[in-house]
Amino acid sequence: MADHEATAHHHHEEDPQAQATRRAILQAAIGVSAGAAVLSTLWVGAGLIPREEKVPSKEPVAVGDTLVFATGPKAGQEITLDDLRAAQGEKIPFIIAFPKSPENVVKKDLITNTVMVILADPAKMSPETRQHASPEGVLAYSAVCKHLGCTVSLWQNDTWLCPCHGGKYDIYNQAKVVGGPVPAPVPQLPVKVEGGKVVVAGEFLGKPGADV
Amino acid sequence: MYQWLDDRLSIGKLYAKAFRKAFPVHHSFFLGEITLFSFVTLVLTGIFLTLNYEPSIRPVSGSLSGGQEVPAAYYSILYIDSLPFGAVLRSLHHWAAHIMIAAAFLHMLRIHLTGAYKNPRELNWIVGVFLLVLAIITAFTGYALPFDNYALTATKIGYEIGAAAPWVGKLMSDILFAGELSPTNTQTIPRLYPVHVLWLPLALIGLIGAHLAIMIKQKHTQPKYAEKVAPGKIVGVPLFPQQAAMMGILFLIYIAVTTFIAGAFLAHPVQAFGPPTANTPPVKPDWYFMWIYGILQIIPANWRFEFLGATFGPQFWGGILVPTLIILGALAIPFLDYSKDKQRYLELPSQHPFRTSFVIGMLMFYIMSTLAGYKVDLGLSNGLLWVLVFIVPVITGVVSYILLKAVYGKSWNQEVEVEFIGKGSAADD
Ligand code: FES
Repeated sequence: MADHEATAHHHHEEDPQAQATRRAILQAAIGVSAGAAVLSTLWVGAGLIPREEKVPSKEPVAVGDTLVFATGPKAGQEITLDDLRAAQGEKIPFIIAFPKSPENVVKKDLITNTVMVILADPAKMSPETRQHASPEGVLAYSAVCKHLGCTVSLWQNDTWLCPCHGGKYDIYNQAKVVGGPVPAPVPQLPVKVEGGKVVVAGEFLGKPGADV
Repeated sequence: MYQWLDDRLSIGKLYAKAFRKAFPVHHSFFLGEITLFSFVTLVLTGIFLTLNYEPSIRPVSGSLSGGQEVPAAYYSILYIDSLPFGAVLRSLHHWAAHIMIAAAFLHMLRIHLTGAYKNPRELNWIVGVFLLVLAIITAFTGYALPFDNYALTATKIGYEIGAAAPWVGKLMSDILFAGELSPTNTQTIPRLYPVHVLWLPLALIGLIGAHLAIMIKQKHTQPKYAEKVAPGKIVGVPLFPQQAAMMGILFLIYIAVTTFIAGAFLAHPVQAFGPPTANTPPVKPDWYFMWIYGILQIIPANWRFEFLGATFGPQFWGGILVPTLIILGALAIPFLDYSKDKQRYLELPSQHPFRTSFVIGMLMFYIMSTLAGYKVDLGLSNGLLWVLVFIVPVITGVVSYILLKAVYGKSWNQEVEVEFIGKGSAADD
């Protein structure tokens, strides 16, 4: 209050019109400089956006790639029909794989390249599913859960189970979702067997990766 | 000597003003202090950890990893664990974080149940809500630092939840984690590290400072009996020496108990999970995220639509919308339950049956949605969990309201007889 009076007194002689103009100019100056400060911060902040590096190990899976073990003692080695046969008897009957290009680059640095391969009974598969599996029954899907991107890595009562929030997929029927909060099936990856190795025969039948 | 210092710093005045600040005596008032002690412990153990940690994932190998090539960040955790008391100090850091969040939550509960957030303390309630949220975010940014398979998986889920925010989510997640979170992204750890050890702690220190400054300026609320004993005065003990002595003792007890816990239950054995791979181990989040994790499990998969290029799916409802609504609700509390007069005394929960039953219902919601986090392990069905998560809390609230009214309703108009045992002096405020 006292301040206010003092100010009023100080400008006693001054034209109130001029005072209003000065206030308006000051306010505009504050507004403009604040806006400029925010914009320039954003501009500099753009430097925080990571730069995408183009490297062969980050290329998406392509026709002609072979599938190799993604983890375990055999990591990096090509998956053979025999490996898949051996896995059939295991608790986890599938193998998590990465594609390897004909130039021998394992494309492991792109998360959406994580693939699940399994040798399954073709008789159990829906016609659509069978069409993109190999005649021997080699079947592949993107292993990146459509919910929040975990690797679907469990197997329970003949269904493929995501460990993170209990998403369940029916591998015999285009990975249809049969449980959990998963919004969509994972895309199938057409595969064939050549010289005992699993080879990619087509693009993913949909977009791989979490659907967020 | 004293005179010399006093001439320059006027300690006498400082003593009279600040050191005589009165603290009401009640054991629940220590919850805030325990939160503060946890923060101090986190900073101290954190300093130890930073001095031995390499924020990088360049491949290294050595005797600790059995000659195997592992990320440097992972290796430095093995190194820390191999130091004398290294594992215990790392464990202490881990448990202090849990205790900090738990104590902050209970502290908030105490404020809520006694109406201490009312005029003029709305601002400090808001600062407090931000403090809790920031503490949880800080804890989360520390998850990935050990860079083992478990840590990375848990963080990855957070990355995708962030990415589920409409329009800006992907960009935000990419900025925080320096791109897609993967076992081979070399930029993630160098980015998370300063955020976890520098920027967020600085922000926490700033907010804690503001929280305490406002508290000192506005003075404590105090138990009801104080009104009868010395109206208008704060009944309690002065900061120095009584309260300081109590705080000192409590801090020592805190350190003793937490160190015991840390030694008895070593945190997160990284060797058991190994460095990150393409495979996902079964993960469960920490208890303070478990309720979100539970809700994520019971949201139907087909609740999903697109709008102006953004996807609104189960991840968004469970991971973003529900927590955001709860935070907004918490911020709104002092304005929904507003008192015109300045609040100086605590209210008895029994005399505010609506508020108290609301809090009990909310707690039930947390407990039930946490239970939903065990959906797969317990084989619970979605239908049952929906009832447990959304109906049971309402029933609990209604029942507790009826009970509170029945038991305490009649005695409201009578003066509640409080036994006063004469502890504390009526220190000046
Ligand atoms: S990430 Fe697979 S169910 Fe959530």
